Amino acid sequence: MKIFKELYVYREMIFSLVRRDLNGRYKGSVLGFFWTFLNPLMQLGVYTLVFSVIMRNDIDDFYLYLFVALVPWIFFSTSVSGGASCIWAQQELVKKIYFPREVLPIAFVTSQFVNMILSFMVVLAVLVVSGKGINFIAMLYLPIILLVEYILALAMAFITSSLTVYLRDLEYLLGIITMAWQFLTPVMYSIDQVPEPLRPIFNLNPMTPIIIAYRDILYYKKAPELTTLLQAIVLGGILLVVGGLTFSRLKRHFAEEM
Amino acid sequence: MKSWNTIEVSHVSKGFKVFIDKGHTLKEKMLFSQRRKYEERQVLKDISFEVKKGEGLGLIGHNGCGKSTMLKLLTKIMYPDAGTIEMKGRVSSLIELGAGFHPDMSGRQNIYTNASIFGLTKKEIDGRVEDIIAFSELEEFIDNPVRTYSSGMYMRLAFSVAINVDADILLIDEILAVGDAAFQAKCFNKLKEIKANGTTVVIVSHALGQIEEICENSIWIHKGLVRAVGAPKEVHEKYLQYVLDKRIEVANKELERQRKKKEATDEIEEEVLEDASAWQQQELDPPKWGRDIEIIDVKIYDIDANERNIFKTGDSCSICINYKVNRPREGVLFAAGIARIDGVLYNSMKMRIDKEKGYDLKEDGKVVLQINDLSMLPNLYDMDVAIEDEDANVIDYVTGAYRFEVVSEKTDEGITRLNHSWRKVDN
Repeated sequence: MKIFKELYVYREMIFSLVRRDLNGRYKGSVLGFFWTFLNPLMQLGVYTLVFSVIMRNDIDDFYLYLFVALVPWIFFSTSVSGGASCIWAQQELVKKIYFPREVLPIAFVTSQFVNMILSFMVVLAVLVVSGKGINFIAMLYLPIILLVEYILALAMAFITSSLTVYLRDLEYLLGIITMAWQFLTPVMYSIDQVPEPLRPIFNLNPMTPIIIAYRDILYYKKAPELTTLLQAIVLGGILLVVGGLTFSRLKRHFAEEM
Repeated sequence: MKSWNTIEVSHVSKGFKVFIDKGHTLKEKMLFSQRRKYEERQVLKDISFEVKKGEGLGLIGHNGCGKSTMLKLLTKIMYPDAGTIEMKGRVSSLIELGAGFHPDMSGRQNIYTNASIFGLTKKEIDGRVEDIIAFSELEEFIDNPVRTYSSGMYMRLAFSVAINVDADILLIDEILAVGDAAFQAKCFNKLKEIKANGTTVVIVSHALGQIEEICENSIWIHKGLVRAVGAPKEVHEKYLQYVLDKRIEVANKELERQRKKKEATDEIEEEVLEDASAWQQQELDPPKWGRDIEIIDVKIYDIDANERNIFKTGDSCSICINYKVNRPREGVLFAAGIARIDGVLYNSMKMRIDKEKGYDLKEDGKVVLQINDLSMLPNLYDMDVAIEDEDANVIDYVTGAYRFEVVSEKTDEGITRLNHSWRKVDN
């Protein structure tokens, strides 16, 4: 419990690392911070072109169906694979200065999270402009599912970032793992399309209920089912404990391993 | 923990696995598991000490003795294998300056980032940002990006942040070498001021003078063990003694190596020269000096008859002049002069001045000049050697016949250390 108190003391460090990351990301480019919005918009353009013109699909507005799931997925996969190197990349700091090591993955995931929120602005704008519309009752569930996904991403970043210090291959291995993970999560298809015998495995995937919930709220414009929410919260909670314990175990020898 | 202490270290040990070939990747870890040999190196062995609130502690020792590891353990960058470290209050370290600086951001923004890494909240930083800027003397440039700073300005800003974190314990590793001399003095004074306000200070440094000025205690760590502890001046004297002995040892080893090398090359040269030398020698100009008596070489020995080229102030030594007799002479007088490397004559010793009777030299031999108290202060010295007859005509003369070094743990100024003592006489 000491760690929570300490992280509270170091809250300004988390904020300033997030600020530095967000401000520094598009520094030097002509459009600057505008890229944060431009990037998802252009991605959406590509998906629309591919799935509405070339690869037609039975699902209505498939580009929206895909996009409301893809934005949270990109946040998650970046946290897992990009977060892996967040401690290794700061080794000069880790080897020389004391601060609670948890600060680094927290700052990384938070910065990605802020980015996702900004992307969601674009998603919401597109939902309104395209005439699909928004259900405000359903939207009340959005903060809950955002928080659960944040916890899950943080738990995974704890695990990958601390393991990568000891095993550098993990960083590269995770690229392929997250790709496989994406196909095993109903991002590009519906959970209904999964053969019945495989469903239990899919339900063990912590990202499955989260993606389903996002799609319920934003695409189907309805409140997510309670079981889905509960499933997401329980899986997220378990992973956070596992991730937190792994990290606190491994962090003691960071300075020596680098 | 005793109430008057801020740091208590008890029986701390720390070892590292030193990999001969460390593998970081999966392939290396799996394939070369037998090749990943390592030796367990015990860096700290059962170290214990405590520091009272508001006191200063210096950690000294040669490179690799474990003092920096000790500081890292105090900083909690690493954890001990055995033993406990207890500390009271906020710990701040001046180990890495300018941590987290972003070159594209302004000096002011970087103050916020850097200070936050030391665990300060926004409110706390707001409260001292003006102090930090004033201390760094960078008021005009503070809103420019840090990449436009010179390296001196960069370090000044970084130091100003670090020194203005109000810590209860301040850990410092060899960083009082920031900026120009004026800024260094300012930093040092600031450090004293902080300590006077009750901050406990632990310094790792080779600048022993700084430790003596600011610390109540010093610990000499040697090969992971506490070798001496106590008042800085006393500990440092013991340490310097050790350092000098070590240096003399190294210099002697080097001398031995050079001698062996010379022997080896001489042998080769002799073989080559043998046939050619017989007639070539006659063509050379006859040497100006040394036609009758020739100085072959000069060596200096310590009291144990070992050749040396490094001595401590106050040591005894004997200078040995080897000569070769080409034509016997009578009444030959020897002389030796010692000059400091910058040319200042330290002393010239002449048999003629000492009213010694000249030697009658018939065959090759050596003359020994005994010096009982090398009183010169640390420096490099050159020795010239001469042979003359009773009418002060030079027979042979060698300048720079031998170079030697004098070292001392005393820090006298001047050129000589007079044999002296003090006492107070009451009227």
